[in-house]
Amino acid sequence: MADANASPGRLKYDAGFAREVYGLENGSYLKQCMQCGVCAVSCATFKIMDYSPRRLFALIRAGRKEQAMKSNTMWMCTSCLMCKARCPRGIPIIDVMHDLKGLALKQGYVNYPQAALYEAFWKDLACRGKVFTGGVIKNYVLKRGLNNLPKIIGQQKDVGLKMLSHGRLPLLPPKAPKGKKQLMQMVKRAQELEQKGAK
Amino acid sequence: MRYFLYPGCSMEADARFYLTSLEAVAGALDIELQELPDWNCCGATVASSVIGDAPAQVMALRNLGLAETSGGLDVVVGCSSCYMNLSQANRRFQKDPHFRALASESLAAGGMKYEGTVNVRFILEMLVNDVGYERIAARVKRPLKGLKVAGYVGCESVRVHPWEFDDPEQPVALDKLVEALGATPVPFPLKARCCGSSHNLPQTEIVTSCSRDILESAAAGEAQLMVTPCPMCQMNMDVYQSDVNKAHGTSFNIPVLFFTQLMAIAFDLAPSTYGLKANVVAPGPVLSKFGVTA
Repeated sequence: MADANASPGRLKYDAGFAREVYGLENGSYLKQCMQCGVCAVSCATFKIMDYSPRRLFALIRAGRKEQAMKSNTMWMCTSCLMCKARCPRGIPIIDVMHDLKGLALKQGYVNYPQAALYEAFWKDLACRGKVFTGGVIKNYVLKRGLNNLPKIIGQQKDVGLKMLSHGRLPLLPPKAPKGKKQLMQMVKRAQELEQKGAK
Repeated sequence: MRYFLYPGCSMEADARFYLTSLEAVAGALDIELQELPDWNCCGATVASSVIGDAPAQVMALRNLGLAETSGGLDVVVGCSSCYMNLSQANRRFQKDPHFRALASESLAAGGMKYEGTVNVRFILEMLVNDVGYERIAARVKRPLKGLKVAGYVGCESVRVHPWEFDDPEQPVALDKLVEALGATPVPFPLKARCCGSSHNLPQTEIVTSCSRDILESAAAGEAQLMVTPCPMCQMNMDVYQSDVNKAHGTSFNIPVLFFTQLMAIAFDLAPSTYGLKANVVAPGPVLSKFGVTA
């Protein structure tokens, strides 16, 4: 198991990072974790995670910022809710993962293609109030850079053609809601209030 | 019975045939579905990571504010992720006074008021509880006798409020619905396992690996066909099935339908409402003995 290399060398305890995470919207739930590992055995993508959720939480509490933030763990989470439904301490693990993804985006830990997808998705959503697959893909390709384009095309070409030929890939975006501007005003106010409350 | 329908972005795009079959089935069961006026995206599983949990939930709540001011009908949702976001935001609004204050002030910034009175319903739950298996069975004109079906429920719809409607890990409602249509639900241990979700674009191998396990589980139960209520599950099982076969040397050939498509078939509605041309793994061979051509 990868567990063997969890603690190389002496541990420097940095309480600042743990406090930073506890300050996130769902971050303080981490204090409830009793390290039982039910999340790990419940997870659909556990096998490809650098650390299980349990170990990620332990790293955060031990102040290992770089190790935690550079890991792929939160980006592998699919929000399938199995861990949240099973956690004996009632930790909403997927919501914690969402917060950690948000922190990673804010602080520039964005090396995973999933980070590019999240930013691409939001950019499309924010400009039309709904999501248009074509717009998301365009933003995603731009975010990933042209050097990644051949790889993306190689992976998605067949799927794209199938979607097109079965009438499942509209070429025009959906009609935006009339209240799109108001929607974004609501989001902006919520973000301001949330930040004020966190301080 | 009247409801607002929140279609979500996928029913306007890759899952249009979910909407077509759903509307036909609803009509056959005397259910009036009215599209929620001016709805916006629920935020999917992405928005909360980019803009924060509370702001993303406010975004979802705008839809419920619209529903409340337009007559307050229950809002029916067909997509697992949309259902999770709308119902979770609603629940939090109703139970968490701090969030309620934040959300009310945020909604007001866009000129909206919400009192928290709207119910958010998952389409399968609505059909099972408000219509019921008996009435659905009574409407069947083409019993799908002998058809072995894997009911793939997926994740979020049964786990966002565990046990309220169904078992969060071994749900039964979809199987019972399949039974009501005259078909046979097969044993399918991974019926609520994750399909890999939005990894299909950034890291396809995650989806093909998750889908392989799930298709294998369905095949082990000798399923001829899979049905699901979730657009994401449908896409990852159906459109990516040949990628699964390529990546893992398997030879799955299991058509994956929205459960509403199977209902439309069993109800013997107009074939144009089945939307079978959109299914990538051809369902024709399995359905031809029931007189259905795809």
